[in-house]
Amino acid sequence: MPETVFDYEHHLAACARGERQALRDLYVQESPRLLGVAKRLVRDSALAEDIVHDAFLKIWTGAGGFDPARGSARGWMFSVTRHLALNYLRDHNRELQGDVDVPDSTDTGDAQVHSAHIHRCLEQLEPLRRDCIVHAYVDGYSHAQISHKLGTPLGTVKAWIKRSLTALRECLG
Amino acid sequence: MISKPTDETPQALDELASEYVLGTLSAEQRAEVQQRLHSDIGLRNAVDNWERRLLGLTELAEPRTPSAQLWQRIERSVEALDRPSSTSRVLPSATWWNRLPLWRGLAGAGLAASLLLGAMLLTQTTVKPTYLVVLVAPQDKAPGWVIQASNPREIQLIPLGVVEVPADKALEFWTKAEGWQGPVSLGLVKPGQTLSVPLDKLPPLEPNQLFELTLENPNGSPIGKPTGPIQFIGRAVKVL
Repeated sequence: MPETVFDYEHHLAACARGERQALRDLYVQESPRLLGVAKRLVRDSALAEDIVHDAFLKIWTGAGGFDPARGSARGWMFSVTRHLALNYLRDHNRELQGDVDVPDSTDTGDAQVHSAHIHRCLEQLEPLRRDCIVHAYVDGYSHAQISHKLGTPLGTVKAWIKRSLTALRECLG
Repeated sequence: MISKPTDETPQALDELASEYVLGTLSAEQRAEVQQRLHSDIGLRNAVDNWERRLLGLTELAEPRTPSAQLWQRIERSVEALDRPSSTSRVLPSATWWNRLPLWRGLAGAGLAASLLLGAMLLTQTTVKPTYLVVLVAPQDKAPGWVIQASNPREIQLIPLGVVEVPADKALEFWTKAEGWQGPVSLGLVKPGQTLSVPLDKLPPLEPNQLFELTLENPNGSPIGKPTGPIQFIGRAVKVL
């Protein structure tokens, strides 16, 4: 796996020193995955590119303030991107309008992921509760959108998510 | 104003962090968490832990190849970001100011186009704006102000010059989107002042949304709607 040899912390530190080649390397390394995450959340290719553009500016300007003690540099890049996309979604109050039609989360891209710890923990959840977590994290659905999508009352969805997160916390540590 | 609630249990704090990372909080709750993250170490640790726990879920999103333009855009923006700090050259706004007489001589659609282009160059120094508005005087279409929004929560009103306001009057800033009952006041504006206006109480910006500055009493319009003459007016354009 290339991520294990690519030194994200080293590249972020170089960004903090103003070395643009380091930002370029981070872009080459991670932009397709970051764009995939953003696209899945905002469901629009041009908008997803805007998010990734803003994310890389934040990575560039925030590199100096990045603290490796708080988590991995790679994880931070994903967090920056996700929260920009989530802010956009919530600020634009994109409630389900009937035209939101994304493939079922569990259908895509799951071949390569079963090794990861999180997925083993997810599998311990009941399928509907697992869907709640995936729709929220990967698709950016609000409680109301998940309730609509699954045809489950809002209160139930909220309770499922709360309990599923508690279960994930126990499983993941 | 936003601080940690005194009665917040460790469990409530962890739940808040988990739903923030999961993405299920509302815009208001997200803004509150993001504000608290600056100073609340407990919340920050809880969020960091949840980011780490759930990161593997990002693998469920299929990677996408970016367009060839995306890196070029990032590179240009980084260059623009780095430029002002490296030298003490004239600020971009001063360049605008110098060009004003030139633009006053222009007219019509060409004017609007060059203004937009100019505004886009001007705003390259920050994060790319999502909306731009050029406010012009209704009579001679002379540009007086630019509004830019680089995030949907806040707009900046930037003067292109100092306008004359009678001593017993004030400029009031208004906006109205399609379908609203009437204009909503965004507050009083001093001539020549750059103003950041949070839009947290308003719906997100939309294309063609109207902005205007009217002449009102020193404390603003007494009825909450514009009463005086329009000094500058323009509509929001979404930046591609």
